[in-house]
Amino acid sequence: MNNTQSGQPLMRIRHLTKEFKIKSKKLGGKPQILHALNDVSLDVYEGETLGIIGESGCGKSTLGRTIMQLHKATSGSVEYKGRNTFEMKGAELKALKKDIQMVFQDPYSSLDPRNTCEAIISEPLKVHKIVTDPKKRQERVLLLMREVGLDIQHMNRYPHEFSGGQRQRINVARALALNPKVIVCDEPVSALDVSIQAQVLNLFNRLQREYHLTYVFISHDLGVIKHVSDRIAIMYLGRVVELCEASQIYENPLHPYTKALLSAIPPESPFEKKERIVLKGEIPSPIGDQIGCPLAGRCPNCKERCTKEIPELKDIGDGHQVACFYITK
Amino acid sequence: MSESLLSVKGLKTYFFTASGVSKAVDGVSFDLNVGEVMGIVGESGSGKSVTSSSIIRLLAPAGKIVDGEILFEGRNILDMTHKELLDFRGKEIATIFQDPMTSLDPVFKIGKQMVEMICAHQKVSKKEAHTMAVEALKRVGIPEPEKRMESYPYELSGGMCQRVIIAMAVCCKPKFIIADEPTTALDVTVQAQVLDLLKDLQKEMNTSILLITHNLGVVWEMCDKVMVMYAGSTVESADTKKLYSNPLHPYTWGLLDSIPRLSDKNKEDLRAIPGTPPDLRLTGNCCNFYNRCPYMTEECLKSSPPLVEVEPGHFVACHRQNGENKLVRGEVTVHE
Repeated sequence: MNNTQSGQPLMRIRHLTKEFKIKSKKLGGKPQILHALNDVSLDVYEGETLGIIGESGCGKSTLGRTIMQLHKATSGSVEYKGRNTFEMKGAELKALKKDIQMVFQDPYSSLDPRNTCEAIISEPLKVHKIVTDPKKRQERVLLLMREVGLDIQHMNRYPHEFSGGQRQRINVARALALNPKVIVCDEPVSALDVSIQAQVLNLFNRLQREYHLTYVFISHDLGVIKHVSDRIAIMYLGRVVELCEASQIYENPLHPYTKALLSAIPPESPFEKKERIVLKGEIPSPIGDQIGCPLAGRCPNCKERCTKEIPELKDIGDGHQVACFYITK
Repeated sequence: MSESLLSVKGLKTYFFTASGVSKAVDGVSFDLNVGEVMGIVGESGSGKSVTSSSIIRLLAPAGKIVDGEILFEGRNILDMTHKELLDFRGKEIATIFQDPMTSLDPVFKIGKQMVEMICAHQKVSKKEAHTMAVEALKRVGIPEPEKRMESYPYELSGGMCQRVIIAMAVCCKPKFIIADEPTTALDVTVQAQVLDLLKDLQKEMNTSILLITHNLGVVWEMCDKVMVMYAGSTVESADTKKLYSNPLHPYTWGLLDSIPRLSDKNKEDLRAIPGTPPDLRLTGNCCNFYNRCPYMTEECLKSSPPLVEVEPGHFVACHRQNGENKLVRGEVTVHE
């Protein structure tokens, strides 16, 4: 999997920025701007899993949704196979949506409660006119259900009759129906119990091996991210602060935020004693203009320069990228 | 050994619903000593929250405690009158709930809620209560406590709200705190802060804590002993270090193996537990774990296994772990 770095990236995210306007409370007041994504640039290579981790409000879900064009980006671009997806229209856009699918976080609200399992999984096949013959379509649905580990006898059941883990399997089957190249997974296991979570994670792994899928995997759980990813991007306040190989994040974390995040994770055994790096205070508000490093107010090694300039993501060797002034080769 | 504070014996809490009797808690027993931190872990629906709400008798109307006793310093909580209970909750036992944003009343200022709570339990004037509240807020690390007294809950972040609730909980210096998933709704960095705070307060006041969580990492960090629940009953209970280094119940093995670890090689398949937890209306006559257990035998179908003390302080409920030919876990690696 390490040779994914060589060759052309399948998807190229460049300077992606997303701002939300917040209406002023006063009548006629100027709207405030919430900076959800700030100048995010990432490459996604074929067959890899790019993990995206961060705390709530860091923009990781917005990133996933903007890639899927569920949000309109303020500026920047997402290139898929060399074509800017934001400029696509008509048939080309439809073909793109076939290639990039999404699995959502909440297995309860992401399935239409009034459709049966079969109807949910067969809908993309109908919309994209892949299998037009109803008989064949049903066969394909059954195949997909078997593939993700659902009992085919349950095809006429409604979502409320399934458990959380099973619903997430329906979600995966629906995403898989179109033979996509890329699946954007937005916290697909965070609503599940650990034993069910492990089953679903194994399912993701197996499908990736069998279908040569590329995942953009968003989660707040570092254990999960470490488990599924080849490379990991750590986000903080709408920016990517560190990007590295999955093994590096544990062995050689560089950015002060990554270090603090790692030290905050509960220990893996009662024998482990953790040295905790405490970040002062809480995540600052993403509303309003940003000056300086997003971590400046909380960082233990904050210097004057950090409060004035925004550090850029720099490569410090072996594809390990960090956005901090004081970390160099 | 220190003295016993809380002793739960054979607790059974059933929910009587239109579609049948759901055995949410079906025979749970444990002892908690003064100054001890005990964890209850289990997946959703395993009965851990129902156990805690049975202790303070805050069950939904459909829920009834059908059997067992809960002794708090020798008094049976189940025999208390409504009035006694009102005085008891908050003063002797404080509770920290899962969702910090909804456990505070959104229409009252934080200061007012705290003062009301203090006045209800202690014979102090409003002014004194106010000073006490500010003091408590300062203690849990809230900046500008005077100013925060005038804030509404929505003005604070989740982590701050949880601190306010902890402050309220410790105001009356309770002997026992029930923390029901206190950090589940929080981010990891905030979770770390809240856990540190709880640990400090616990040491300072020598309070006992019953910590309910689904996160084993939190247990490793906080607890002296731990009880694993599955489908309404205790499957294993031991000293935390013992449970980690020598777990005995197949469910505990599965639970430990299901967690992705940072130190793992990535992309390896996890050893997941197959299947799903049983319907709580149908449990009781056999081992509840039989349909997911790789070591299942005929005996497991015939009767539910009793909780047996296999070593001092180490209890396990598995037919195959008492008697001859004890099970051995597939692979055990102890990360020291």
